[in-house]
Amino acid sequence: MVKPKARVDDQQCLACGGCIAVCPEDAIVMMGTHAMVQSRRCIGCGICVKTCPVGAIEQGGNKG
Amino acid sequence: MKYDAVIVGGGPAGSVTARFAAEAGAKVLIVERRAEIGVPVLCGEGISQRIDNWGMLEGKKWIASTMDGAKIFSPDGTMVTLSKEIAGDETGYVVYRDIFDQELARKAAQAGADIRLKTKAVGLLKKNDKISGVKVQEFDETYDIEADIVVGADGVESKVGHWAGLDTIVKPRDLETCVQYTLTNVDYNTDYCEFYLGKEIAPGGYVWIFPKGKGTYNVGIGILASLSRPGKAKQLLDRFIAGRPELQKGEPLRFIAGAVPVAKPVRTVADNLLLVGDAARHADAITGGGLTTSLQGGKIAGDVIGQAVEHHIFDEDFLSSYEKQWKAEFGKKLLRDYMVKEIMLDFDDKTLNMLADSLKNYKFEEFSTLSLVKALVLKHPTLLMKLKPLMKLSEVQG
Repeated sequence: MVKPKARVDDQQCLACGGCIAVCPEDAIVMMGTHAMVQSRRCIGCGICVKTCPVGAIEQGGNKG
Repeated sequence: MKYDAVIVGGGPAGSVTARFAAEAGAKVLIVERRAEIGVPVLCGEGISQRIDNWGMLEGKKWIASTMDGAKIFSPDGTMVTLSKEIAGDETGYVVYRDIFDQELARKAAQAGADIRLKTKAVGLLKKNDKISGVKVQEFDETYDIEADIVVGADGVESKVGHWAGLDTIVKPRDLETCVQYTLTNVDYNTDYCEFYLGKEIAPGGYVWIFPKGKGTYNVGIGILASLSRPGKAKQLLDRFIAGRPELQKGEPLRFIAGAVPVAKPVRTVADNLLLVGDAARHADAITGGGLTTSLQGGKIAGDVIGQAVEHHIFDEDFLSSYEKQWKAEFGKKLLRDYMVKEIMLDFDDKTLNMLADSLKNYKFEEFSTLSLVKALVLKHPTLLMKLKPLMKLSEVQG
């Protein structure tokens, strides 16, 4: 089964960079005021979702 | 125009590297992706007063307040105090990180460094398979900047190291995920920084309260990413504040999130490349503090860049002098505190209470994590047996 990709909610993201630091696939980039997951690279491991201190990353409709 | 060194990131490590490289005669450029140096602040803003001896910052505008010491609270509220009275004058400052960072950048500019804002590194340039600069995006324009040395001062989320093939991905077990409020109109009066430990309070980390003066406090939390759930850091901090009427009365001036590497030191050099600051994992694994080591490491990096430019040698072998020097200056301390972090992660709340109880009347020699670790090893030799060989190393190191 393919795991759903992670997605950052721009409105909630505080651009701390924690998700970028822990992403094992280097799939997340900083876009000025928020992080962005490059879907093509995301393997759906969920590490960034767990790490986010404010719950701004969701995966497959499940939000923190 | 070609530079001797291009520094990716205008934080403390980047600015200090730039300053000392420029003072040594190198032509350097700092590229900063944000529109203002030091903004937004991503930090608890505590720093040791040891920086007074280094002459890197002028004036006092960057100081918000001077701390009298630290109070550490175990899960049941037992207090361990490291005070100025016991430790002598040397404690710490709470700083305004925006002003602090801008003062360091000003010194870099004064030494001759160029700075470009809103300029984001998007990749490394290579010539004959060697790093020869960075590709950047300044506002909406993409172009190349040639340089003999690229310095990754791009923080915990460093891309520069990764692009160069260094292993810079942080394991969730080695990352503190943090949020912090700056609260004002707080009905509380202390000149101590406070730390609260416990699995329920902050799993794998702590809550901090740092006084900034005039009833304003930085109140933050760091939890280990491996013990986190989505949004947990904020939930736990909100709960902590809700449980304290004096804090709850406060109003927020600022809310920030951050991430701190509490990892083992990594390889920080490659051909034509250096990593400094959080990108080099130069942060203390017990406290999460990284300002002093970033400044120390930055100075060494700047000096080595100066020498590399003078001799026109930019290979890994030559640049390894940077890694040798930072290891000699604070490498053992980083490794020791990483080991302490790993051991402490296994302590349950009961053990933390017991340890705090045994240290509540202890007279610490100085205001440092070393002093705290020494006391723990002295009081509980079996519990902390694994640390013994490291303590021998620490006798030499601060």
